[in-house]
Amino acid sequence: MNNAPVLPLLLPFLTGVAGLLFARPGRWRRVGFGVSAVVQLAVALGLIVATAGGGRLVLAPGGWGAALGIVFVVDLLAAIMLALAALTALACTAFAFASRPAAREHPLQLPLLQFLLVGISLAFVTGDLFNLFVAFEVMLIASYALLTLESDNRNVRHAWSYLAINLVGSAVFLLGCGLAYGWLGTLNFAELSVRLAAAGGDPRVVLLGLILLVVFAVKAGLFPLYYWLPDSYPILPGSMAAFYAGMLTKVGVYVLLRVFVTVFPPGTPWIGELLAWGAGATMVLGVLGAVSRDRVQHILAYHILSQIGFMVLAIGFGTPLAIAAAILYIMHHIVVKAALFLVGGAIQHRCGHDRLDAAGGLMRAAPWLAAGFLLQALSLAGLPPLSGFWGKYLIIVEGLQLGEWVLVGASVVASVLTLVSMLKIWLAWFWRPAPEEAPRSVPPGARAMSATVCALAALSLGIGFGAEGVFRLAREAAAQAMDRAGYVAAVRAVVPASADAANTAEVAAEGGAR
Amino acid sequence: MNVQLDTALLVGLMVGVAVWLILHRGFVRILFGFLLLSNAVNLGILAVSGDPSNRAAPVVDAAGGAAMVDPLPQALILTAIVIGFGVLAYLVFLFYRLFVDNDTADLETLAEAPDAAPERKEDSR
Repeated sequence: MNNAPVLPLLLPFLTGVAGLLFARPGRWRRVGFGVSAVVQLAVALGLIVATAGGGRLVLAPGGWGAALGIVFVVDLLAAIMLALAALTALACTAFAFASRPAAREHPLQLPLLQFLLVGISLAFVTGDLFNLFVAFEVMLIASYALLTLESDNRNVRHAWSYLAINLVGSAVFLLGCGLAYGWLGTLNFAELSVRLAAAGGDPRVVLLGLILLVVFAVKAGLFPLYYWLPDSYPILPGSMAAFYAGMLTKVGVYVLLRVFVTVFPPGTPWIGELLAWGAGATMVLGVLGAVSRDRVQHILAYHILSQIGFMVLAIGFGTPLAIAAAILYIMHHIVVKAALFLVGGAIQHRCGHDRLDAAGGLMRAAPWLAAGFLLQALSLAGLPPLSGFWGKYLIIVEGLQLGEWVLVGASVVASVLTLVSMLKIWLAWFWRPAPEEAPRSVPPGARAMSATVCALAALSLGIGFGAEGVFRLAREAAAQAMDRAGYVAAVRAVVPASADAANTAEVAAEGGAR
Repeated sequence: MNVQLDTALLVGLMVGVAVWLILHRGFVRILFGFLLLSNAVNLGILAVSGDPSNRAAPVVDAAGGAAMVDPLPQALILTAIVIGFGVLAYLVFLFYRLFVDNDTADLETLAEAPDAAPERKEDSR
């Protein structure tokens, strides 16, 4: 049995524990975190190489004979997400290092980031609905703690909306797990997909789908369940905000992909339509929120929503090309969004605030930062040949082929408004001359911050210019994710179909009797 | 799945009361609301999955275990209780900090308070 799927969980966990044991901030501790982040990225890239040939890595720790234990499954999609998570963590750790000297670092910040990574990685590799719940909780507990760790007395209240919506979401998710087990007798993704398909047109399939849809829509920040996001993210310090913005909502998108593409039978009524129209509304309302804000991090937080709309719209379309486009878009978005939040963090670091009214002069003062921002902002708006263009182009082409004129129109409007609000930041902070009272001195670490942003910008340029190769990867990931029979076969090769096969027959008979 | 109607109604009632409590403004009522919600959900899992007449327990062989309650939902509930305890402990702490920092235990007063001055330098602590 191949033990590789457990590595993406074990590495951040051990790093986090080591970080707690050696709690005194210092240079060697930073070296340790840095090395660990690089190793995690290497492992994730190795997993991409291992799964790109079409093989799925399946591990059943505990060795249960039936599909009742925990199962880890790494396919190409999960491996890509793991690599993106490791990459974002690396960039944000580097940025956090640059933002202050080692001695003033909060001793819990980086260990909590590692525990957050444990939860995120578990959500990517798990092959079991209840384990996914556990992954979400691990992720959420770490993110609650990180959110309030360094927020000041006034801002800490913005954590409440994040906590409240996720508490309700967790309760609904748990109930969904209970209903799924009570009805189908399994929580394993592979067995669930077999039994859901066998249940055919049973209305309970739709009911279970809707329950899970609500939960994942909360995680992803889909209309109308998104208000918590722009409220809570801006209270984080820049480096951590970039990680949240890049990864956390994308976990929700990944789970939507995994559950509604791999587990639920294709063409489940309501789900696709709800996803697509919810996505359309999210896109437009998110970008309208962005246009109305006047602080960099707030504008960027609303843009997360708007971009989530594009990805979920593609999932809602559900065709092979659209799923591939969604995966391509996720890859582009995580890099770009993290880089933009890092720009916001760098601005705060340099000038002490990120409001648009008392801003300016950064193009002269920090040309590299300006170049990185401009590239990423135009990429976010979707100008060719930058990385954002290809994802949007494919999604819009697919929408036109399906005849969804309203949704395509909404996505074009959202793109134009994205450009408008990005230009607002560009004009205020970079283009116009510096205000009189602006600080002239450059704080230490500003260069390293710009370098981090530029590295991410270069990567995003690479995605844009190498779009063909990246898209080939995305298409293979999409094909693997949609290959339900292959998924079931790969899992069953390790975990044989459970002894209570009678249960499947019973469910099928029950479904038939209705 | 043979769920008894009385259990279903009880779960429904508990969720209803929990939602009613959560929609209050006072921290303590909200806290009790979330406590009740997590208990209601756990009871719900027990109700939908815990019926021994439906299927054999998956771990023992069917001959000896036909009348046993399926243990897996109880394992799920146990896990959920542990996780819920941790999250609620965090919630208590957050409420306490909000109370100490803002000198109020009322969400509406909290929401009306002005934001901090935006000149907050990142990582300036």
